[in-house]
Amino acid sequence: MLKKGDIILLLVIVLGILSVVFFGRENAVSLSNTSGSPFDNLGITAIIKKNDKVIRKINLKSVEKREVINISGLHKATIVAEKNRICFLESDCPDKVCVKTGWLSHPGEIAVCLPNKMIIKLEQDKNQNVDGVVK
Amino acid sequence: MKNNRILIFLSFIIVSFYLSGCSKSNASDDYVEKESFQMGTVISQRIYGSNAEVSANKIIQKLNSIEENMSVNIKTSTVSRINSNSGQPQVFSINSDIYNILIAADKFSKLSNSAFDITIGPLVKEWGVFTDHPHVPSKRRINELLKLVNYKSIDFNRDKMTFRLPIKGQMIDFGAIAKGYAADEAVKICRGDGIKSAYINLGGNVYVVGNKPDNTPWRIGIQNPRAADGKYIGILRVSDKTVVTSGDYERFFMKDGIRYHHIIDPRTGCPSNSDLISSTIITDSSISADALSTATFVMGLKKSKELLKKLDGVDAIFITKDKKVYITENLKKDFDFQDESGEFTYVEKG
Repeated sequence: MLKKGDIILLLVIVLGILSVVFFGRENAVSLSNTSGSPFDNLGITAIIKKNDKVIRKINLKSVEKREVINISGLHKATIVAEKNRICFLESDCPDKVCVKTGWLSHPGEIAVCLPNKMIIKLEQDKNQNVDGVVK
Repeated sequence: MKNNRILIFLSFIIVSFYLSGCSKSNASDDYVEKESFQMGTVISQRIYGSNAEVSANKIIQKLNSIEENMSVNIKTSTVSRINSNSGQPQVFSINSDIYNILIAADKFSKLSNSAFDITIGPLVKEWGVFTDHPHVPSKRRINELLKLVNYKSIDFNRDKMTFRLPIKGQMIDFGAIAKGYAADEAVKICRGDGIKSAYINLGGNVYVVGNKPDNTPWRIGIQNPRAADGKYIGILRVSDKTVVTSGDYERFFMKDGIRYHHIIDPRTGCPSNSDLISSTIITDSSISADALSTATFVMGLKKSKELLKKLDGVDAIFITKDKKVYITENLKKDFDFQDESGEFTYVEKG
């Protein structure tokens, strides 16, 4: 027969194993989730990068108020985020390709400002339809 | 009873080791994602594996060296020096990168009956589609410059690896081939480093290594030529392949209601006016895909289909001016026509 102490020990072990399994799972989820927010899997995240560094991540689904982001540097740029969409509103770069791209609202869409080395791209954390678009 | 406890402890330790081992082997989910601004475009890399960072940095370095060697915007590049010394007796030593591109360029110029020609440089410059001030040149000016365009006229010594342009004013332009070559080099680096899964996009010139980490093929959207960036007319499932598109929508300007795009037909000196608005090539070699997407775009649907019959392992998606989508037989099982705009027709037969 097992003693009381053995039963407690067994319980601790079972709990330990369960927590490892649970922890392991959660770990895997956060690894595959690029936005780092495990609770909003269907949100579209706008990632703003300058010189290959992420300067902002915005979950567009949860933007309630229009947000204006001013970027300083060689060329000044203004980015506007609204619910479900984002764009380069203004930029004093020479070609203004970034501004002409207009609003981004679908996962996979991308706006680029070459002179400023800036990029806005939209990602859906799960069930993204394509991995990339050739043009 | 003591034995029993030891056993339980032991099994606990073993089980927890096993579990932690398991989560560590999940490291195949590790990846780096990098965007760099090189070769006049955005380079995106997504490389999977614990060593991905090293490979990604090597690729950036390799692309830098290609750019420094071939850019017409860098005055000290070998290509710039070759161009500014056209008509002079001086020959230039070329490195293996330029050599490989010249060999491939020659092959595709011949295959396409001059629809692809790297000596198109003077006309690309004259139209200025890549500048802030593009314009329509006079007929006389075009004809004058066309005399400089001929891939057969270049002085390329394959044994000595030297090059010169014999006629004053001639210019070579690797714009329709260098990104493809660079993509092949990037993939070579990945394979050399044992990378099993990667997505590399050089400004729309895509190469995918292996499958995705979940072992399904990559899903690549084919740009809708008449919609905003990122909108596609269909999805292609590919692994270990390159996908390259040439279209009239990438760079263009409008004048008097006419669309003047950036792909100049070496035979007319004007933006290509075939029945195609987009041509996508799917194959193993990105340099071939890059050159062939331009060549087929210029040649038009009928001649391109004939050309593809002569080539092994090359598939294509053509979109015509009347908004019909044609694809080669091999692709049919891997292509999903998904046109949100409802403007395009998928021609399954033919």
